[in-house]
Amino acid sequence: MVLIGAWPASAQGTTEIEKGKQLFLGMCSRCHGVEGGGGEGPNLNRPVLSHAPDDPALTAVIRDGIPDRGMPKVRRFTDAELHAMVVYIRSLSQNTAVAVTGNLEKGMAVYQRSGCSSCHIINGEGGSLGPELTSIGAHRAPDYLRQAIVDPAATLPRGVMAFPGHGFSEFLPVRVVTRDGREVRGVRVNEDSFTIQVRDAGNQLYSFRKADLQQLDKQIGKSLMPDYKSKISGSDLDDLVAYLSSLGGAK
Amino acid sequence: MRMQRFGLLLICAALSAYAQVPYQRIAGADNNPGAWVTYSGNYQAQRYSQLDQINRQNVTQLKPTWVYQMRNPGIVETSPIVADGVMYITEPPSTATALDLHTGRPLWTYTPNIPQDVIIIGSPPVNRGVAILDNTVFFGTVNCHLIALDAKSGIVRWDVAVDDNKKGYYVTGAPLAIEGKIIVGVSGAETGIRGFLDAYDAKTGKRVWRTWTVPGPGDAGVESWGGTSFQHGGGSTWVTGSYDPDLHLVYWGTGNPAPDWNDDTRPGDNLYTCSLLAMDADTGKIKWHFQFTPHDVHDWDATQVPILFDADVKGRRRKVVSMANRNGFYYVLDRQTGEFLAGAPYVKQTWTDGLDAKGRPFARRDADPKVEGTLVYPAILGGANWWSPSYSPKTHLFYQNTREMAGIYYKGDAEYKDGTAYAGGGGETKNGDDAYGAIRALESTTGKLRWEFKLLTPSMNGLLSTGGGLVFGGSEEGNFFALDAETGKPLWELQLGAAVRSPPVSFLIDGKQQIAVTAGSSLFVFGLP
Repeated sequence: MVLIGAWPASAQGTTEIEKGKQLFLGMCSRCHGVEGGGGEGPNLNRPVLSHAPDDPALTAVIRDGIPDRGMPKVRRFTDAELHAMVVYIRSLSQNTAVAVTGNLEKGMAVYQRSGCSSCHIINGEGGSLGPELTSIGAHRAPDYLRQAIVDPAATLPRGVMAFPGHGFSEFLPVRVVTRDGREVRGVRVNEDSFTIQVRDAGNQLYSFRKADLQQLDKQIGKSLMPDYKSKISGSDLDDLVAYLSSLGGAK
Repeated sequence: MRMQRFGLLLICAALSAYAQVPYQRIAGADNNPGAWVTYSGNYQAQRYSQLDQINRQNVTQLKPTWVYQMRNPGIVETSPIVADGVMYITEPPSTATALDLHTGRPLWTYTPNIPQDVIIIGSPPVNRGVAILDNTVFFGTVNCHLIALDAKSGIVRWDVAVDDNKKGYYVTGAPLAIEGKIIVGVSGAETGIRGFLDAYDAKTGKRVWRTWTVPGPGDAGVESWGGTSFQHGGGSTWVTGSYDPDLHLVYWGTGNPAPDWNDDTRPGDNLYTCSLLAMDADTGKIKWHFQFTPHDVHDWDATQVPILFDADVKGRRRKVVSMANRNGFYYVLDRQTGEFLAGAPYVKQTWTDGLDAKGRPFARRDADPKVEGTLVYPAILGGANWWSPSYSPKTHLFYQNTREMAGIYYKGDAEYKDGTAYAGGGGETKNGDDAYGAIRALESTTGKLRWEFKLLTPSMNGLLSTGGGLVFGGSEEGNFFALDAETGKPLWELQLGAAVRSPPVSFLIDGKQQIAVTAGSSLFVFGLP
């Protein structure tokens, strides 16, 4: 590969940036947002990227992905294509990052009084039915977090692990009725072509053979998390988003 | 003293009988279902075992006979060869091993020196198995050698370089042994190789013929490339083909044109990529070709196993060859002439408006890759790929593990440089809740769906059908299972703990039927108690 040093965007002319932008729009913007504003993936319009402190590291991330964090190796790139994307992504840091307006101290209080910790763990504390949030601010952009609060089903995380499967809805709500009429509602933990493992709202684990079930209802597009649209709004919502965005994990 | 001499005689008799697999035995494989002497079980590549001890009634009683753990990490795609009390396998990336059939204990193992800077672009460093002929075992390596080993000891008889790995040539497929010759194909279209199929003298390792899958200057078909793009035109040959001893023709599929997703430099049909070639077994001369995907831009290699059978099609009994192609269509061709007889999609596809009367697709150019991406069904691995289908002469059904998934195809830059990627873009698979796999039983003369058994996710394992009325298959999540060959109903299943990637085979140990398959880095042999 070509070693890429620090590259001032201005020296590259617009062609290189335009080429990088075109590649970025096709392959990266779905998760990282148009102009790198972030979304399901972190925003890239900031001076320091945690997995890509320098250009060789950024090149490696684009080339190889970060599979266990959901960043795929999209396709094979030529050195010139890699270079154009690096130049473009670096140019984004000159844009103004999305301003987070809320107060994170107040947001922490909103988090605590709204019962979030009954299903989410932050720094080891809380219930484990939903996803851990200890470092959520490093992985999701503020707008995405806002939507996850007011419309959780629209932002179900897509699986990055080998199970239940790459790209699968994680925390998928399922309803199971056994042949003897027993009903279990919960989230899918894992599944294969013959069996499914489920955790219910009481965090109890069940394992079923599909052949033994009367009904298996996979509620794709839904979330067990209630929507907080009517419960958290206005400045409370801004504050909660600010608090969650500040969670960068253990330093 | 007398007893000892008698014992010695027995040993000599046993030794001379050990792993004798003459050509006639492979040609008559159907008469000896206790062994598994060629990649797909017989030259027709049907991956069908006549054994019927394990059947619909007793398959639920299957138990492990033994398990062998591969010593090297890596993806296992080997299809075992079984003859005379020995199982021959390959382990990733390029190791050949012989196992005692009664216990799974290794008898010998051979690993060639693979250079640190070996070039493997376009696939993981896998190996799909050995070929056997007389007393010799043959396998290919990731640095593009073909090696002949003494079947009893694993000692090298000969070792030849098939071609230059520095240019990206490598071998992953199992060779095919025919009378006196070993046929081997190559990988490397993602580095812009010019593809070929080779035949070597089994005794000496001397090359007998080479058939270029991409024509050279002055050859017929070179005008289908434009300029000099044929020089790096791809057309690999990485999955084992089939053979008709009566017609004396070898059938072999060819891979994608290079660069895969950027067609700027290669206007035209790009012969003979994404094609099935019928070649004279003595000379390699192409008797006919059928191009499934002219001017491919999605990496839809035709490197699937071509299955041979005889059937009534279009009003008369014919010798046919069929293939569930990566492009999503099932094809039936007359294998004497290459005439197109039938073709139908067996998975969702959006890249063509169908096939014309000669089987040529009406390709939609709006499905071509773009820099910003183009959503197309099927996804990059296709509706089917290298994993073996199966044909049962009992049910006349063609069994295929299929993938229902969309992909996004990107066009990118392509610049040829020896031994580097020359792909011009790539594909992203739309994994997730909507994608799934299915074991499908197709009517073998039409491709019409008879039944399907759905899988949670698309998988990559081959199938085996048996005289016991069963189809064995596996899943990406580690399920190994048996389906009713007539209805697709699941009859037995066991979680093996890792993706099943190799095709199952069947054989006898002491007169008792066994089924072998790999999952993760383990090889399992199952039998009845």
